[in-house]
Amino acid sequence: MVRDTIGGKVLNSIKNRGILAWLIMAALLALYITLYFTAELDGALTGLFGVARSSAWYAVLYSRWTLYGMLYTIGIVFGGAYMFYKYRHNKYQIVRTSVVIFVQVFLAFSLPSLLKFLGQPDYYFSYLWPLKIDYFYPQNILHQPMPFVIYSFVGALVAVPILTIFFGKRWYCSWVCGCGGLANTFGEPWRHLSIKSAWAWRFEKFSIHTVLLVAILTTMFVMLRGFVPGNSGLAEVGYELQTWYGLIVVAVLSGVLGTALYPIGGTRVWCRFFCPMAALLGLIQKLGRFRITVKRDMCISCGMCSTYCEMGIDVRAYAQANKSFTRASCVGCGICSEVCPRGVLRLENKWRRDPQELSMSSFIDESWKRGQTAVSYHTDEVGSLAQTGACERRS
Amino acid sequence: MKILIVGNGVAGISCALVARQRDPDASITIISGETDYFFSRTALMYAYMNTMKRRDLEPLERSVWQKQRIELVRDWVVDMDGEGRHVVLEKGGKRPYDRLVFAVGAAPNLFGWKGVDAVKDGLVHFVSMQDLDRCERLTPSTTSAVVLGGGLIGIELVECLLYHGKKVTFLIREPYYWPMALGREEGDMVAAHMREHGVDIRLNEEMVEVKTDATGRVSQVITNKDEAIACQLLGIAAGVHPAIERLKGFTRGPALGRGVKVDPTLQTDLDGVFACGDCAEIHYPGQERPLSELIWYSAKRQGALVGRNLFGDRIPYQPPVFFNSSRFFEVEYTTVGDVMLAPDGVPTLYRVMPGKNISQRIVHDGERVLGFNMLGSRWNHEILERWILERRTARFCVDHLREAQYDVEFGRVDLSRMVERELPLTKEFP
Repeated sequence: MVRDTIGGKVLNSIKNRGILAWLIMAALLALYITLYFTAELDGALTGLFGVARSSAWYAVLYSRWTLYGMLYTIGIVFGGAYMFYKYRHNKYQIVRTSVVIFVQVFLAFSLPSLLKFLGQPDYYFSYLWPLKIDYFYPQNILHQPMPFVIYSFVGALVAVPILTIFFGKRWYCSWVCGCGGLANTFGEPWRHLSIKSAWAWRFEKFSIHTVLLVAILTTMFVMLRGFVPGNSGLAEVGYELQTWYGLIVVAVLSGVLGTALYPIGGTRVWCRFFCPMAALLGLIQKLGRFRITVKRDMCISCGMCSTYCEMGIDVRAYAQANKSFTRASCVGCGICSEVCPRGVLRLENKWRRDPQELSMSSFIDESWKRGQTAVSYHTDEVGSLAQTGACERRS
Repeated sequence: MKILIVGNGVAGISCALVARQRDPDASITIISGETDYFFSRTALMYAYMNTMKRRDLEPLERSVWQKQRIELVRDWVVDMDGEGRHVVLEKGGKRPYDRLVFAVGAAPNLFGWKGVDAVKDGLVHFVSMQDLDRCERLTPSTTSAVVLGGGLIGIELVECLLYHGKKVTFLIREPYYWPMALGREEGDMVAAHMREHGVDIRLNEEMVEVKTDATGRVSQVITNKDEAIACQLLGIAAGVHPAIERLKGFTRGPALGRGVKVDPTLQTDLDGVFACGDCAEIHYPGQERPLSELIWYSAKRQGALVGRNLFGDRIPYQPPVFFNSSRFFEVEYTTVGDVMLAPDGVPTLYRVMPGKNISQRIVHDGERVLGFNMLGSRWNHEILERWILERRTARFCVDHLREAQYDVEFGRVDLSRMVERELPLTKEFP
């Protein structure tokens, strides 16, 4: 029930798809459309701060993308402060949010601005292919300084898979990435709006892998176009793909819808349904060490974990069936573990694999972990039990 | 086979799902007068505090019932004939069965306080969906509230009322908070934590009379210390008992004690009739006191067991090592084994972190560990339970405590800062 104060009602309207939520969405939508499809905001910053044309910073500050980066950083810093306050007792959230803020302020904003100021291409060290798909495009490979090109390739093809095997996709999606960073700070009030239905899960698996496939194809064709001269048919396909991918995936899905939908569709619409990087990391995550461990029989099915999962994972379905699990979409934000009133869930990196099958109707303990007695153990522990005499209570 | 399950709580639902796994062809019907769909009773407080929508309280998607071919009927069972094998519904008339399961749960205790009968409005419990409705209806017209009963439901209701900005007085009959489960040191810690949140806690104080205004709404609570506390809402959370009031009037119903009497296979004295969960009272041969477990985990286990025994499995119910957990505002709580139910005067190791609401109590009998009470950090009860079964010494447990920690990454509590004392177990509950 909504708290019966003005503050309570305002907060409820913002958080639970009230009129204020729709207004915020409209404002964000307007901002993004202006940014992506017009040049209206060019010069807004220089005008605001009265930067002289003669200033060395003029060119950097004139660009509307610098304004956008500044707004984005402000969103993450203030949202991060809110996270620090809200989860002050939870060290994982404090460490994670600190890293998110650090990456945004330095790697995603200050450093690219400085590079631009120095006349270098504005390179973002916190983004990698396939999220930043143009890092593999010939125009970048050919015109960027060699260390940046090496970083792009080694980062995307070597560091990403290795780190994901060891720590899950969370090291990127909820620690480094700006999209995830904004969702987990500025977007925090809306995380519970993600759709939890089985239907959404089916759509997600289809859509996100489709985008990944299209991203890989686009990269291939654009590379062929750039490096294999003379084949006009290939060049045409590459050009078309690059244009349409840029418009639909980069501008509309990741930019306009990804952020503007926060107050209505939850914070991770882009990350969950469309991000090719998330798709790739998710596939690797399934093979790696990361999992959410479920404490046996302790779940009371309250549903806080599912409600506050920004990726729309029905965490409760696993917890109440005593199943530790690794879902490809899980970004490891750690909020399910935080909100659980019984401390059932724990994010872990471990090699041992657990069975992954889950029927949506599973509520009952499927006894995959144990035998028929009320209390029993993994087979390797039974021997030590027999020695200590504990078995008599089990019979 | 026609299976009728009365009650759509966790016991009844577990029973239905296991029965469906066992027999794809059985006709399974769940009858409930409380709600259309199974919901998590333990999450009522989150709906009250606006952190969850009511629909979120349902642990299963609604399509599950259709897929599992489980019929849901919204009705109350008002009579039954154990020989003619049918029940009578309030609206739906007669329903025949081959197997009948009572999973009717528990109802709040009401002791004979003076003035309770005259109350027309303002008195709430906090265990059913109807209780939530009532709380939500009364909240806007309430400025101060009194909650009585120093247990888990009481503290949940207190937290909800505080969220809504009410002035809350918490009457606890016992000398400290929840002596049924906590030692005095832990109880004092929780009470201090509640006071920090602005709760007016009255220990050793109980209600003797409730007064109403002209409309019959609660207006004042008189305590045994002759104090009059003005309030518009009175929350009674003084424990629960098996909800068998309706069963008492049945023409030919199962034998009743404090709950529905069952044998260790959870079958009643009537052929084909079972009971599980909060309402079941299990009689073991050769044991004088029957077993009643009024807790979510037992209900789930017993329901699943009945789901098998319906088909003649006759598996006896054996309660495992006890465990439970909760959260008192921000202080997390895990208990395993026997703590306050251990023999009087046994030694305990009580470890507390200075300046923090973090403590561990390890109860033992000099040779082996009996139970754990852990506050303020997270623990893996599976490991603590194993140590009890392995008959480890208390010292072994202290030395290996680190292995059972379940705190979030980067948040592991530094156990070297704990200050340890030896205390005998003293019980202070009636």
